[in-house]
Amino acid sequence: MENLALLWGIIGPGVAGAIFGAGWWFWVDAVVCSAVQVSFLHYLPGIFASLAALMFNCVNKDEIGYDYYSPYGDDSEWRVKLWLFVAYVVSFVCLAGSVGLLVQDALTDKGPSVWTGVAGVLQCVFVLISGLVYWTCYSED
Amino acid sequence: MALSRSMRTCLHSARLAFLAILVSGGIVLQILACALYNNWWPMLTVLMYLILPMPLIFFLGSDTSSMMSNGGDGWVNFTKFLTGTSVVGSIAIPSILKHAGVIGWGALSMELSSFVVFGVAILWFLQMSGEDEYSGVF
Repeated sequence: MENLALLWGIIGPGVAGAIFGAGWWFWVDAVVCSAVQVSFLHYLPGIFASLAALMFNCVNKDEIGYDYYSPYGDDSEWRVKLWLFVAYVVSFVCLAGSVGLLVQDALTDKGPSVWTGVAGVLQCVFVLISGLVYWTCYSED
Repeated sequence: MALSRSMRTCLHSARLAFLAILVSGGIVLQILACALYNNWWPMLTVLMYLILPMPLIFFLGSDTSSMMSNGGDGWVNFTKFLTGTSVVGSIAIPSILKHAGVIGWGALSMELSSFVVFGVAILWFLQMSGEDEYSGVF
């Protein structure tokens, strides 16, 4: 088990990058192959998901430990937790938004095709998973 | 079987020559994919190939053990992230071009095989530079 953790520390960021790239390239494929012009509203879930993934990677993992003594005073734990909370809220809203856009695209015929909606959901999911994977690499010290 | 010193350097330069052949073969395949079909769109993949060996370029001057080790610097992790993205990107760009109908099956297969050749070359190079640390010849 120890070897697995070491190996993950070495290739983890690469795997995270691969998943992130897969998410965005699915979206590029949907935009390129779409017959209609994809409006900016459809881009938003992907952009905010990338922002959320960036946000919860900015947190230093030992800051939310139990006996952390920060230079800003004893009660600064709530700042980190607030930051994480906002990141989670943004990521869940993105997921919900992309699924909603998929349902809307599947129902009407005049808007973007079903593949655009599916690619949007895949993009959100992959980007968030890649953020999580990158976050787990830091704990392998 | 212990190789003599001259044999070992001869083998080393043979390996370097083979590596050079692999890399130039990859470049030839990439250019052929565009030239044979008179369609220069697949050259976009070259952008991805530039990002791909970034961790090697940045960290080969310093000790390579920082790349193979755990945790590491924040920048090492970021370059590995970029490598992962460019690996997926160099597979994704030809696939997107094929999906949009800009290139055909032949160009797609040449692009993908060029990527495989580059991957083999980089892995071989990593294995070779890993061996060099033990032998201490250079």
